[in-house]
Order: sequence, then C-alpha cells, then structure tokens
Amino acid sequence: MANNQNIYKPIKAKLTDVIEESPLIKTFVLIPEEEFSFKTGQFIELSVDGIGEAPFTPSSSPHVTDKLEVTIMKTGYVTEYMHNLKPGGYMGIRGPYGRGYPVETFFGKEVLILGGGCGLAPIRSLLYALEHVKDKLKKVILCYGSKTPSDCIYKPLFARLNQIEKFEAYRTVDKADEEWDGSVGVATTLLNTIKVDIKNSVAVVCGPPIMMKFGTIRIIEMGYTDDQIYLSMEKNMSCGLGKCGHCMMGEFFVCKDGPVFTYKELKNTPDIWK
Amino acid sequence: MQYKSIRKEEWDKALEELSESHTIFANVSNDFGQDYELMRPADIIRIIYNKPKPATSLKSFFLPVKENVTSDRKGGKPRIIIGVPNCDIEGICLLDEIYLDKDFNDIFYRKRREETLLISSDCFGIQEHCHCLSYGFKPYSTSNADLAIIHLNELIIFRIITEKGSDFINKIPSATPLDDKEILSAIEKEHLATESLLSTANKGLPDYKTTGKIVAEAKNETWNKYSSHCVSCGACATICPTCTCFLLIDKPGFEKVKQLDACQYPGFERVAGGEDALFELQNRFRNRYMCKYVWKPEKFKSLACTGCGRCIEACIGKINKNELFMEFA
Repeated sequence: MANNQNIYKPIKAKLTDVIEESPLIKTFVLIPEEEFSFKTGQFIELSVDGIGEAPFTPSSSPHVTDKLEVTIMKTGYVTEYMHNLKPGGYMGIRGPYGRGYPVETFFGKEVLILGGGCGLAPIRSLLYALEHVKDKLKKVILCYGSKTPSDCIYKPLFARLNQIEKFEAYRTVDKADEEWDGSVGVATTLLNTIKVDIKNSVAVVCGPPIMMKFGTIRIIEMGYTDDQIYLSMEKNMSCGLGKCGHCMMGEFFVCKDGPVFTYKELKNTPDIWK
Repeated sequence: MQYKSIRKEEWDKALEELSESHTIFANVSNDFGQDYELMRPADIIRIIYNKPKPATSLKSFFLPVKENVTSDRKGGKPRIIIGVPNCDIEGICLLDEIYLDKDFNDIFYRKRREETLLISSDCFGIQEHCHCLSYGFKPYSTSNADLAIIHLNELIIFRIITEKGSDFINKIPSATPLDDKEILSAIEKEHLATESLLSTANKGLPDYKTTGKIVAEAKNETWNKYSSHCVSCGACATICPTCTCFLLIDKPGFEKVKQLDACQYPGFERVAGGEDALFELQNRFRNRYMCKYVWKPEKFKSLACTGCGRCIEACIGKINKNELFMEFA
C-alpha cells in the first residue's frame, strides 16, 4: 500500500444487482469505481453511506475483477440497511484485507470443505478459485448444511459442482420439507459418507461458530492433523488494519493475521469459538 | 551523549519567540496537579521541569479522542511538547509500531509525529504509583525522545538524542555545549536517587516477563476478585499511554470518524450474530492484562505497559494492578 494512501477511506462501488438467496440472505453485485481485486478468503469492509461498515468475504471468483459479489445475511443494524438497498445505489469498500486461503498449498491434494449457513459465501469464492486450478488438485468435496431447505443458498451451485470433474457436493438440512432431495441432519453427518484420502488432504471449515467448533472436532476425529485444518474465523473486524483491537483473539489480530488460520495456529488460544 | 545548556531566562525568552512559529505544549502545575497546557508567552514561566508526571499521557497529542479520518487534514504549525516523562516516551514506541506499520500507515498519526518535537524531562523524584524501573525503563530518556531537558540551578540542560533534536537546539545560539563534569555528575546523582526511590517503592513488584507469566496463569478466582470493583468505565484504558483501540463511525458521504474505544466497555468484541467473547466483566478485565503483558509482547518489540501507574490513579474502583501482581509474585 502506498505510503500516502488514506487507509480509512473507502472506494465507492455501484450496486448493480441484488439477488435473493433465502429469506434472510441476499447477494449484492458491485462494480467498484477504482481497480479492485482480492485473493479468495480475504475480506472487505463494506459500508452503507452514513450508517455503518461491516466485514464480509466476497462470494465471487477472485479471477473476476470487473465486479464483485458479496452475500450477506440480515443479522444486525448495518446488514438490515444493506438488505434495503436497491440496484443503482452506491456502497463503500475498503480492503481487501487479511490472509485468505493458501490455494497453492492445496495442489496435489484432496480438499474437503465443510460449510454451514452463510459460511457458504466465502466457500463459493474458494470453490471458484479451486475450479480455476482443478487440474492441480486431486479432488474437491463440499459438505454443506443449513437449517431448512429455504435457508440453503446458491441452490443451482450444487448441481453445477457435481458436473465438474473431480468435484463432489453434498448438502443436508437440519429439518427437511416434502420437496427436499438431500440428506437430513447437521452438516457433520455428511462426513460419515464421503470417501477421502485423509493423509493427502486438507480440510476447510467455515460457518457459524457452533458448526465450526463441532465440525473441527469431527474432522480431528476423522484423523486430520491440526495443520491440515483451515478455519475462517469470524470476529468484530472493525478497521481491518490490525489497529482498532476489536478482533483480537489471543495475540492474533484476526483481520490481519487471519481471517484464515490453521487449527494448529489457534488451538491454544482461548475462546476461539465465541 | 552530548549535552548543551542555556540559562533559564534565555530559554524562556527563546520559547517566547518560538511560540510565534510553533505550537508549544508544556507540563505545568494547575489546580488539579500537573498537566500539559498550550503555552502562550505569559505561560512559559509556569513550565515545571523534572517533576513527574502530567495527568494526560502523551498519546493524546497523536491520537485525538475523535477525529474525521477521511477528510484532508490541514497542516498546522510545528509542535513542541515539553516535559514528557520517559514512561510516555517509551509508550509512544508501541504506538509507532502500530500506526507507522509498513503495510497500513496511518497518515494522520504520521503527520502529527513528523511535525512534533518531543522534549522529555528527566524525572527527579517519583509519584506514588510510578514503577517504570520495574519494567526496565529508566526515569530519564536516552532514546526515542528528540531531546531530554534538565533544570539545574539557573541552567536548562539538554541531552541531545536525535538529529531532529540537535537541529532544533543548534538554532538557539545561546545554547552552548556542556561538558562540566560537576554538573553532569550532579545529574547522575539525581538519576541514582530517583532509581533508588523507585526500587524502594516497588520492592517485590515482579518484572515484565514474570508479570506476563502471572497474568497467563492467574485463575478465574483471581480475575473475579480483582474485577469485583470494576465498573467498566474504561478510565484505565483511556489514560494509558499505550492503549489505542478505536472505533470507526460512519458519517454521510462515506466519511469516517475514528473514536478511541476500550476493551473494558461492554460489547467491545460483540459480533452481529450476538457472540461476544468479552461479555462477562471478569473476561473484559482479564483481557486488558492479557493484552498488555502476554499478547502484545508476542507481537510487538515495544512493551505495552511502561509503568506510569496512571491506571491505578484513574481507577474509581481503587483497583491496583500491582497488588494483583505482588500477590502472585
């Protein structure tokens, strides 16, 4: 970053489309007014003019640089305003920040991805990035869980993934309805049926804290070592610059040292699932 | 180190002239004790030297409580800050590491640092809670400030620390090199006397590293006991020379206002989904100690507590961190 750049100043991005993914989740398609690119797993600070700013990991491909997609669940004050935005308006972007997924270190391996709820947003970006380098990977397995079928986002994604060579995608819901054709049970139940060469594999976990916790425990039980597990951590990343202190987790600034960590890096840090 | 000296009345005259082209802040006595004040020519006579310590820590000059960080900042007159105790000079080192970080350089902080000359003041004597020496800091500056100042009899003596300090003092013709061994030895005697006072006052207080171990190993009962009088007012963090956590507040026009924050306030780490690792008071209380004595030392070279003792003085619950450390030392 240039020395004279103001690190607090966002660039403007035009909101060109808003896609409803589920009753609580929308994807915002943005065209930044200045050159902008990111690495998969990195996050941005996205703002609503005069209202507030919050961290999100883009859900689009890092190889598409003319536009950016961000999938957002209506959870609090700022996201409620975001959900009321209409195409044609502007949002503010700072970033990208942090350390994303080390895709190059996945080469030659099987990649197991365990996702839950809105955690599929950063995972979708990772899936695009992995698809881009699929020749260098052995296999990609996605196990995704949501509460109900209506909470399951990116529905067409699963059919598409299953058509890509080396990709397998499974989904489950806690509570099914009559039309549901996937599994029933929490996300970790999908891990019982997949075939994976654990020794030559990495596991990526992204989702709500409770799922991250039990997902990580289950993946360790499967035989993964601590340094084979990648976690995308969620904290109150307010400045994104490693300065404001809100996202401190032990000695780590999640915004700068993460948000992607190996479990080995975090296992001795207290309260990581809170 | 090199020294220069000037007669007190000539220094006062020089400051009077400098006050036209510079903004000068200096440590003065007031109705509440002592603190930095903006110096008008008539105030220069009020400056106190070598007496610890201003109520406000030095960070306030570089990190205002609230500032718009998206609009362009107009450059002001160059600043001179006189009377900074060494604990605060050492505190600014951590701020430099955070805010002058090569990846994310805060231009507002940097401009203020560049346009400020820091004149430290050797501490002759101590205040009740001073404990810099326990953490390896001397009660006088030999690095990181631009100059250090000593008022001895009718003389003002400068220890020249940086090139910036040297350039400044070279522009005052009446300041002349000092190598009078008697005067230098008198200064050393004052240093030793102050160090001796600090050692006596803080007998049994563990050093920084040991403190880190005590904090890391302290059980819940300890945090419950010591936090029972905490009202989450955040005074300890606000007054601390090294606590710099902040909040960004959005204003119309994609503007952002940066406001000092503190991990002692409820909701500091709360995320939109409701999870809050610091929801309980004793966790917030513990967090500040862990941050200062365990986590920050893992990440930064500069220490996150310089032993100024202001947090003890500011606490309305009369919580004395050093009592906690002594209990487990």
